[in-house]
Amino acid sequence: MPEPLRLFQPTSIEEAVAVLAELGDDAKVVAGATALTLLYRQRLIAPGALVSIGRIPGLKTIEVVDGELRLGALVSHREVELSPVVRGSIPVVADAFGKVANVRVRNAATVGGVMAESDYASDPPAVFVALDAVVDVQGSNGKRSIPASEFFVAFYETALEHDEIVIGVRVPVPPAGTGAVYHKFVTRSSEDRPCVGVAGVVRLHADGTVADLRVAVGAAAETPQRFRDTEALAIGKPLDADLIAQVADAYADQVDTLDDMRGSAWYRTEMVRVWVRRAIESAAAAPAR
Amino acid sequence: MSGVVKGLPGTWADTHRGTAQPGQPGMMDARDRVTGKVDYVINMTLPGMLHAMVLRSTAPAARIVRIDTEKARQVPGVVTVLTGRDIVSRTDVRSHFGPVFRDQPVLAVDRVRFVGEAVVAVAAVDRDAARAALDLVEVEYEELPPVFTFDEALAEDAALVHPEPPRAGATFADIIVHSQAGSNVCNSFTLRKGNIDEGFAQADHVFEDTFTCPAVQHVPLETHCTVADARTSDIVVHTTSQIPFMVRSQLAEVFNLPASRVRVVVHTLGGGYGGKCYPNTEPLTAMLSFVSGRPVKLHLTREEEFTAITRHAMRITLKTGLRADGKVIARKSTCHFNTGAYADIGPRLIKMGGIGTGGPMSIPHVWIDSYAVYTNLPPAGAYRGYGVSQAAWAYETQIEMIAQRLGRDPYELRKKNLLVNGETNATGEIMDDSHWHELLDEVAGKIGWTWPQVPQRIGNKVRAKGLSCIIKGTVTPSASTSMVKMNEDGSLNVMTSSVEMGQGLQTAMAILAAERLSMPVGKVLVSTPDTAFTPYDQQTSSSRSTHSMGMAVTRACGGIADQLLAQASEALEIAVADLELRDGKVQAKGAPDKSVGYAALVQRQKGGNLLATGEYITGGGLDPVTGQGKAAVHWHQAAGAAEVEVDLETGKVDVIAYEAAVYAGRVVNPVQAELQAEGNLAFGLGHALFEEMVYDNGQLQNGNLGDYMICSFEDMPERVGVSTLEEPVLNEIHGIGETGLPPVMPAIGNAVFHATGVRITDAPITAEKVLRGLRQLETARLAAAAVMAAAGTGTAR
Repeated sequence: MPEPLRLFQPTSIEEAVAVLAELGDDAKVVAGATALTLLYRQRLIAPGALVSIGRIPGLKTIEVVDGELRLGALVSHREVELSPVVRGSIPVVADAFGKVANVRVRNAATVGGVMAESDYASDPPAVFVALDAVVDVQGSNGKRSIPASEFFVAFYETALEHDEIVIGVRVPVPPAGTGAVYHKFVTRSSEDRPCVGVAGVVRLHADGTVADLRVAVGAAAETPQRFRDTEALAIGKPLDADLIAQVADAYADQVDTLDDMRGSAWYRTEMVRVWVRRAIESAAAAPAR
Repeated sequence: MSGVVKGLPGTWADTHRGTAQPGQPGMMDARDRVTGKVDYVINMTLPGMLHAMVLRSTAPAARIVRIDTEKARQVPGVVTVLTGRDIVSRTDVRSHFGPVFRDQPVLAVDRVRFVGEAVVAVAAVDRDAARAALDLVEVEYEELPPVFTFDEALAEDAALVHPEPPRAGATFADIIVHSQAGSNVCNSFTLRKGNIDEGFAQADHVFEDTFTCPAVQHVPLETHCTVADARTSDIVVHTTSQIPFMVRSQLAEVFNLPASRVRVVVHTLGGGYGGKCYPNTEPLTAMLSFVSGRPVKLHLTREEEFTAITRHAMRITLKTGLRADGKVIARKSTCHFNTGAYADIGPRLIKMGGIGTGGPMSIPHVWIDSYAVYTNLPPAGAYRGYGVSQAAWAYETQIEMIAQRLGRDPYELRKKNLLVNGETNATGEIMDDSHWHELLDEVAGKIGWTWPQVPQRIGNKVRAKGLSCIIKGTVTPSASTSMVKMNEDGSLNVMTSSVEMGQGLQTAMAILAAERLSMPVGKVLVSTPDTAFTPYDQQTSSSRSTHSMGMAVTRACGGIADQLLAQASEALEIAVADLELRDGKVQAKGAPDKSVGYAALVQRQKGGNLLATGEYITGGGLDPVTGQGKAAVHWHQAAGAAEVEVDLETGKVDVIAYEAAVYAGRVVNPVQAELQAEGNLAFGLGHALFEEMVYDNGQLQNGNLGDYMICSFEDMPERVGVSTLEEPVLNEIHGIGETGLPPVMPAIGNAVFHATGVRITDAPITAEKVLRGLRQLETARLAAAAVMAAAGTGTAR
């Protein structure tokens, strides 16, 4: 009979990291288990050990410190969605987490989990990339911080070393007057994952010219897609329909869209064009705060 | 035409009467269901019970070269490891089963025919041991050429899914078998009415169009589960079945036992939708118990459920001829149903699906060829709608395509053709209780149908409405029997083998019994099936139970009523004719003070209880060549109207309103009637917009609920109206469990067309298909404009 699955329930980050360092790829970190359970049941993964981090204290905080929204790795999607702290600082983060799956999944799935899984069809990553969030991780060599835009490397692949775990995400609170939205576009049931998800962040000068424009496209390619050169072209220009169309077309041209049951590559390209435009339009119109 | 009219125009039932009649529940076990108190087979354990797990084929078509189970047998806790060869080598059991053809092996014998087919089964003390053992089984396959599509399966040189002609066996009376040895045609059905060539010759317009639907899955909340106990010389199975007596007859055949010694017990089900009609997990679980000598439980995982049974993918070509005045006079339909690797009930379904393509119209010349086609995909069987959803998708879409080509109002074109009393349907039956005009008018009125449909533009979105109207039969001939006993306190036990699967069967039966005997519903208990104790019922499917079992129960209660009246007549010294049943008592008509309660009457009879039986047996049948005769004891009738909003930039369709109208004849419980209509809408909406089983080389790509989408509450329209039509003269119950489903897909498709001009004929109507259609229309418009401009320039020069 094969070895039974071993379960570790460390009570400190250091202890968890030590187990990971010792067992290597054979161990999988588990928190809400919404993704891991599916992968395990379908036998897409066959870990020898699970490292459940649910008993580690200090990873469930939601706070704003030094102009940053800080979300602990064990905060659930539902907690982000309902948090007055999140709603009061960066409401688009709460909106995006609130659009994930259904309430049962959101009650279990965690902030750290959705980052570490790096599923191309998750909603929150695009928002974090657009907002220039930073992912805090800890491993045998101590702590480090990775920009969200560099954290997601490929399908189910992140910048994490095998002995590192996500301990939290920090999101800079945008300056007053910034509008930020997340558009989740589903092609099948309303509980489906996005065909494309677009996060848009816009701040305008008093004269209507663009002070800040950031756009990240999720679910359309292996990782969230953001094109800073395209964003930079808009800075200082009046945000009119032509400019928005230029940005949307540039995104549609640059995202190397994938094909799945939610839409073909052709369709996704067209949806990137539509939803980047809509995201910029609605971010510009979003109530300034 | 005179003399045939039985039914009169109906009256609309008030479906918002709250909780039915005073004292009647919406659904008796609703609270227990939602609070987790209902006992499903899943929860059951028996002393010493083993847990079974199954190794399934990874190849769509292959010869099994070798199976090595040696290491698996060594795993601690493993009691039995079984292969198809082990079963074939026994002389005391049969290795194959199936409700029409005995083509399905309990475990694959030498050959696999679809990805997911059971190859090796293990029974062990727990699931972990069973799973560990399966991991150690080695199977070597030699792949054979598979066939998946109709074109592949029907090609002249196609590889045969079943090289040997499958063995036919005892089956239902209504099934017509025309198998074609040496081909992948599992069964065919033909219907010939009038003279089709003459019909087309007389037609002023002839249109031919092809429609397709993909396979979909039932997705019951409760997956298939069986607990089998063959420790003694009898076999007892507790199982998730909609047809316990079919399970019994099949197990009796497999194990060479008298039917009396096979006991099939069915608890309440967590949904069925047709997926639990025919033997599935039962033969294998019973075989494991028989071989191991221990009780065994097999509970399918969600992933296994997806390939256990499916709804037929179909392709239907309709050729329809009309006179200049819009009257349809000829229709030729060619229907292919993909029945997968094993026949299951496909041979019967193609009959109802084929007949269905005649539609709710009186067409003098009809020619139908309907085929069940074997392929190397998971078996397809019964599914809510029973082939008629696919048929309606074809004919209710085509009628609108024809209307558009002829520039006519599709509502008026339907009205020109809908059946009325005295006319005949496809099977040549004279309609005597027709309500299609009333049903269509109801939904058209409530949705606010206008012609022409001018799409309402709101920003990037457009709105429009669509209609549909359908006919569906119910299995005929068929039989239901029941037994009732009135106890010493005047309470009543109803024994029936109809299955409660969430549709509210028990509540409906309790209401009907209580009505017949004028007693409170709360004093009636309706049984669940146990073939050792409850009398025969043919099947809980085909929207037949409230009608058929309702009649049987009502008649049995009539037998009790006669005994009560006889006892009361003696006790009160009043003639039976002058007595009536009223609120738990027999009383003198017009003199309520002269009465005696049921309890006293039961005690007076001195038998301990009053017993009575009732039965309801229908006759009919079709000519095996012409398909003419009696296909249904009566015809189910429904209409639907949808209003959709389509995003012109994405193609995404939202159904914002839906009106359902269904002929119920007599509504037993308004709450449940309305919920059935809503359930049908949820099913149809998913089929219309996104449900689809996607295969790659026979391997299902979305066999879990993360990848396979069903309709969620968020997808339901904001506005849903349900109208149920009653006919007080005949006062005959018509089943509505499926009736409201077939209109949904075409109503939505037709609304999408009116909103966008995009006509989708291959379901589902995905956002991407709609967007591609919009782009094609735009390209065509620009091309036409360019031609116009060029022509304009030419004139100027």
